[in-house]
Amino acid sequence: MQLDFIHKPSGHCENGVVSNLLRYYGVEMSEAMVFGLGSGLFFAHMPFIRLHGMAVTSFRPLPGDIFSRVLSLLNIKIKRYKFRDRDRSMRVLDSLLERGIPVGMLVGVYHLPYFPREYRFHFNAHNICVTGKEGDVYTVSDPVVVDKCTLTYDELKVVRFASGTYPPKGRMYHIADVSSKRGVTKDAIRRAILKNCNSMLNIPIPMFGVKGIRFLAGRMRKWERRMGSKRAALNLAQIIRMNEEIGTGGAGFRFIYAAFLQEAAVLMNNPRLRELSAQMTTAGDMWREFSYNAARLIKKRDVEPLTYDQLADKLIAISQKEEAIFRELANICRL
Amino acid sequence: MKVNEVPQDGRILESSGVRDLCYATDENGDYKQVISVGWDAKIVALDFTWESIYQECEEIKKEVLSGDKSPLAYHLHRLVMTPEILSDYSGFSKREIKRWCRAKHFNKLSGEQLSRLASALRISVEQLTSLD
Repeated sequence: MQLDFIHKPSGHCENGVVSNLLRYYGVEMSEAMVFGLGSGLFFAHMPFIRLHGMAVTSFRPLPGDIFSRVLSLLNIKIKRYKFRDRDRSMRVLDSLLERGIPVGMLVGVYHLPYFPREYRFHFNAHNICVTGKEGDVYTVSDPVVVDKCTLTYDELKVVRFASGTYPPKGRMYHIADVSSKRGVTKDAIRRAILKNCNSMLNIPIPMFGVKGIRFLAGRMRKWERRMGSKRAALNLAQIIRMNEEIGTGGAGFRFIYAAFLQEAAVLMNNPRLRELSAQMTTAGDMWREFSYNAARLIKKRDVEPLTYDQLADKLIAISQKEEAIFRELANICRL
Repeated sequence: MKVNEVPQDGRILESSGVRDLCYATDENGDYKQVISVGWDAKIVALDFTWESIYQECEEIKKEVLSGDKSPLAYHLHRLVMTPEILSDYSGFSKREIKRWCRAKHFNKLSGEQLSRLASALRISVEQLTSLD
């Protein structure tokens, strides 16, 4: 059985799943709009959570947050699940598919067969959407893959219950009721932007938002002294991977958010937002330049590559840039 | 990033269906979607990470050959597993798995225990007891 589900690839996995799901229920919304309404731009550097023995740097809120936020702004009812019993999780999935409901879910990428081998780390915050089942084989719409792909029952069960940092535990979600939905209002956009300003500017813990970028910069300056050049380079490589890799991209997120601001400028009839979109593009370019220089440091390509101190200075510049953007956005959107 | 600046440095993604969808601005400053097959900076970071994993594997290999560590330690590292993750997949305790990373404890494992470990690592028992 196959649902009539249109698959479109996207820059970030969760946006893509949400936008594809919405399209199935007749709500056409771009990925950038989903990302913006979900207040998806974030930064967190958390030394107390480890991935491969190194601090986790994240450019996104917790998986599932974008989905919940967007659909609550649209007043669409959703249902989220989490399981302990693996077989039950698959039975519930099957019965939902039989009722004609496409189901988004969280998976680990380590065992995903269609991923390139180089990408298969124990990273557990990838989103896919299951849209059909033929015998033992599920049809999967994975936003980072160009076409739909397939997973067998066993493969799907393994990736849904992957282990490691932030185990998905069979988490899945679907749209339950669209009868009372409303369109994207100016007020919804305004609130979404404010929420994003809030998470970037006002979390009173130094690890999150623009403060988090500075926190990372401060720690980066000490890396070489604290753990030697090899380990420091590994940490730096992990930041680049988190910054640029499929579905988690930090620089990429800035560009998606800039695209959202452009759409918002039209909908809100506010040309100032378009200017801020251009500023956000600059911030994204600064992140890319950071990754580019960091990669050169790792490869020791130049005679005199940048030092960790200089890279940290770049991060400080980025944090100042983003702080200025979000302060201005908050000013525009506050009533 | 401008549309014509989107990097197209293949190699890792080319052979799979996975692509990067990038957002870039066209000549009017409007955002467009561009599909990319990868970027050098990212490939450098990935390569470096894998290289250092393989290097560490080689060192563990030496310790296995000298009879100190067990092949399990080698495969754990090669498959970027940790004792925690393997303990989750196999049902053995973390402590047991750490113990079996030493050759003298590993050699006492029963066939049934070995096959449980091997299936959790998704390799064969022959592989688990050797250094392939």
